Amino acid sequence: MSGVQLRQVVKRYGDIDVVHGIDLDVAEQEFVVLVGPSGCGKSTTLRMIAGLEEISDGTIDIDGRVVNEVAPKDRDVAMVFQNYALYPHLNVADNIAFGLRIRRVAKDEIERSVQEVAGILGLTDYLERRPADLSGGQRQRVAMGRAIVRHPKVFLFDEPLSNLDAQLRTQMRAEIKRLHARLGVTSIYVTHDQVEAMTLADRIVVMSDGHIEQIGTPMELFMNPANRFVASFIGSPPMNQLEGQLRHVNDKPVAALDDGTQIPLPSFKGAVANEGSRIVVGIRPEDVLLQNPGSGDAVPIEVNLIEPLGSEALIHASVANHPFVIKTDTYGDISHLSDIDKFHVDMSRIKVFDEASGQSLISHYKG
Amino acid sequence: MSSLSRPQRIWKHLRREWQLYLMLLPTVIWLLVFLYKPMYGLQVAFKDYSIFRGVAGSPWIGFEHFQVLFGNDQFIRALKNTVIISFYSLLIGFPMPILLALMFNEVLNQKFKKSAQTIVYLPHFISSVIIAGIVITAFSPSAGIVNTVIGWFGMDPIYFLTKPEWFRPIFIGTGIWQEAGFQSIVYLAAIAGVSPTLYESAVIDGASRWQMMWKITVPAILPTIIIMLIIRIGNILEVSFEMIILLYQPATYETADVVNTFIFRQGIQAGQYDFAAAAGLFNAVVAFVLVITANSLSRRYSRVSLW
Amino acid sequence: MANMNLYSRGDRLFVITNMVLIGLFAISTLYPFIYIASLSMSSGFEARAGKVLLTPVAFTLEAYQYVLSDSQFWISYGNTFIYTIGGTIASLAFIIPGAYALSRPQLFGRRFWNLVVAFTMWFNAGLIPFFLNMKDLGLLDSYFGIIIGFAVNGFNIILLRNFFESVPQSFEEAARMDGANEFQVLWKVYLPLSKPAIATITLFCIVSRWNGFFWAMVLLQDEDKIPLQVFLRHTIATLSDDQEFGNSLMNANYSFETVSAAIIVCSIIPVLLVYPFMQKYFEKGILLGGVKE
Repeated sequence: MSGVQLRQVVKRYGDIDVVHGIDLDVAEQEFVVLVGPSGCGKSTTLRMIAGLEEISDGTIDIDGRVVNEVAPKDRDVAMVFQNYALYPHLNVADNIAFGLRIRRVAKDEIERSVQEVAGILGLTDYLERRPADLSGGQRQRVAMGRAIVRHPKVFLFDEPLSNLDAQLRTQMRAEIKRLHARLGVTSIYVTHDQVEAMTLADRIVVMSDGHIEQIGTPMELFMNPANRFVASFIGSPPMNQLEGQLRHVNDKPVAALDDGTQIPLPSFKGAVANEGSRIVVGIRPEDVLLQNPGSGDAVPIEVNLIEPLGSEALIHASVANHPFVIKTDTYGDISHLSDIDKFHVDMSRIKVFDEASGQSLISHYKG
Repeated sequence: MSSLSRPQRIWKHLRREWQLYLMLLPTVIWLLVFLYKPMYGLQVAFKDYSIFRGVAGSPWIGFEHFQVLFGNDQFIRALKNTVIISFYSLLIGFPMPILLALMFNEVLNQKFKKSAQTIVYLPHFISSVIIAGIVITAFSPSAGIVNTVIGWFGMDPIYFLTKPEWFRPIFIGTGIWQEAGFQSIVYLAAIAGVSPTLYESAVIDGASRWQMMWKITVPAILPTIIIMLIIRIGNILEVSFEMIILLYQPATYETADVVNTFIFRQGIQAGQYDFAAAAGLFNAVVAFVLVITANSLSRRYSRVSLW
Repeated sequence: MANMNLYSRGDRLFVITNMVLIGLFAISTLYPFIYIASLSMSSGFEARAGKVLLTPVAFTLEAYQYVLSDSQFWISYGNTFIYTIGGTIASLAFIIPGAYALSRPQLFGRRFWNLVVAFTMWFNAGLIPFFLNMKDLGLLDSYFGIIIGFAVNGFNIILLRNFFESVPQSFEEAARMDGANEFQVLWKVYLPLSKPAIATITLFCIVSRWNGFFWAMVLLQDEDKIPLQVFLRHTIATLSDDQEFGNSLMNANYSFETVSAAIIVCSIIPVLLVYPFMQKYFEKGILLGGVKE
């Protein structure tokens, strides 16, 4: 049994728990991304796996071995740091070789490994340079080279792309993905950027306040968020969430907003039982239909601002005095968008959450 | 609540990080042996110390040494001299490095500025024995340059270092000559932190360099000035007694003898260890209170503190 | 280079006056050194008569011959090298690991240990207890006593600790994941990263050791162990007493003044040689340790 397992892992500083008992199974060769806002405990979790933070409670298991009491160097993991932590006094070759030298690997073996890794990462021409003389992307590659050269069982990434500009980040994202496909090493990757999470991950773990909110494939999380937090965190712009009351009109469920506006809802299990309870309707900006699909009533809307993005546009509007964002295709023309005064919803995509617990009451997508 | 008990957690931590404690150990042992053990030895101030009985074995006599101390004219004189010398050093010596830093800042020629700085920092690195040697030579009645110059004006040579009225000016002047340049570094750094855009906008507003110095530079470094002033006041008892030992002589004790030179003579030269330790303890306690007060003041003033 | 034509007349006057004043201050700093150097190369007779002002008068190197032929001078010179090199190595051996440990957030009781160091900067038992302690430890008249007894200094520890703290923690973590133990992390990563700070402290140590006088005078009675500064002091003190007796031991070509000046020049030369290397570092170093937010 390979991979990484976390069982009821807790991190506690004094009397304050910052990670509240996490369970996670990372399969061999899987690429798992921990994502969440800053302070959610994702980095702490990663650092516990690395051995840089002590585990207050629970167990972490790497490749079938409990590593709670194992020093970082003996866990057979490698980590890429946010600031790369490249040793400025060593050149690229020596940076990559550092870990091997510490481990007293034979000289010719080190030489061969460094050449091999440099080849994989396209660093062969830069081996003699110091980190200060490298571009951001090259430094990033050296940091990965330092991890790869040791052939660890697990790669850990701590926000490795956050210091790069947007264009380079996209490029390096693709490179990391290719590298993972090539090397097939189990990887755990921490980021606060949901786009990075969506594009890189086999599975995403959404965290907040030291809890796991949901674990799933990128599409599962997008289509079927377990609660309001995941719904607002995954997807850009975030899902619109409108508070209201669950009612039935003509035996069909509707969400009655506070000013009386009604949003038609699909029938769902438990809808009748929950009649009258407070709910939140979630509608993704891209799931709003501006044309009548032929079913359900239209919802009135007031357009405030239009942001053209080229092929798409964002309409900033209000529904029942709440901000509401719509993303729509422009087909090269936005002049008509300001005239919009109502919208329809795609019944198959709409989400309903319990207001008190935030949990999803309805699910569509089985992945 | 943790599943491990406190001792278990400490044990686990030590097993993991023992190397750090090993690194700290020599320094801690050194501090204990060379600085904390003497603090324990301070008890001789309350004892009738005898070399043969040692610190612990000598009998207690309470505050007797302190009673004698405050009835001792020489000690009172030393205390007075310490305060007077410190006060004048502060009054004249404190503004000098600020002035120097402001002046350096107005120099446009960078080469000139660098060379001048190199020169004025130098005396800080010269030993007090050499500085004293230079002073003694320069003020010597027969060959000294000072008396030579005085001679040009038809005056008789003065044996400066035997004249009590000349000791303080020479001592304080020497201190300023030696340290003013080096102390200006702190202010120059503060000045370097002022945003150049402030000066650029002042130039566009038609300000002269003199106005910019007083309206922009000085207010910008005022926090640094205040912190340095507080620190200096905190260290007011710290007269550089090494230099005094090198420059004074019995003829000038009247104005030159400070608490530490008094302790040196009474204790190390005359062997009255217990009595001299009492004087030292008094000095250390007053200095401690001053330093702590100064540090907490500077912390409150600026959230910047020395420690 | 600034264009003076862009300045108003008042500004030009101000800038020039300022430059003249700074020049005068620099000259007044430099002059005593030139005076001493010239004195050391003048004849004793001319020096006595107060004829030396700027350049050597009746040039002679006999004062140097007198100094350099004194075996005591060479012994003390050698001792100063022993104290400087030994003391600096001892200081670094204590301070570097100590400051590193104090800079690590995972150190248990870090605040307490820092207080143990900082307290020694606020409160000092004083001359007498320190002296008695050295005596009890049997460190009077001992090379070891001078070298070890002054090895640690709170200011230098805190200066270096501040520098280590400013190095991102991830360097330590990366090295530990690479398999390094704390000693390797310090030796292979933190020391190379801290070259400027280490250089600053090394230079401070060298200078304070080279110049150290008071405690060497108090703790060392044996003439064969005294450093240069104590020798210099003895020479100046005894020669200046001698002049009361008409300088009977001296011939006309060297005098108390020229011999003192020659010893001063000999002991300043090493400081002047390292000074250019130091300047690069001490300006930064003093700020590093001085003010910490």
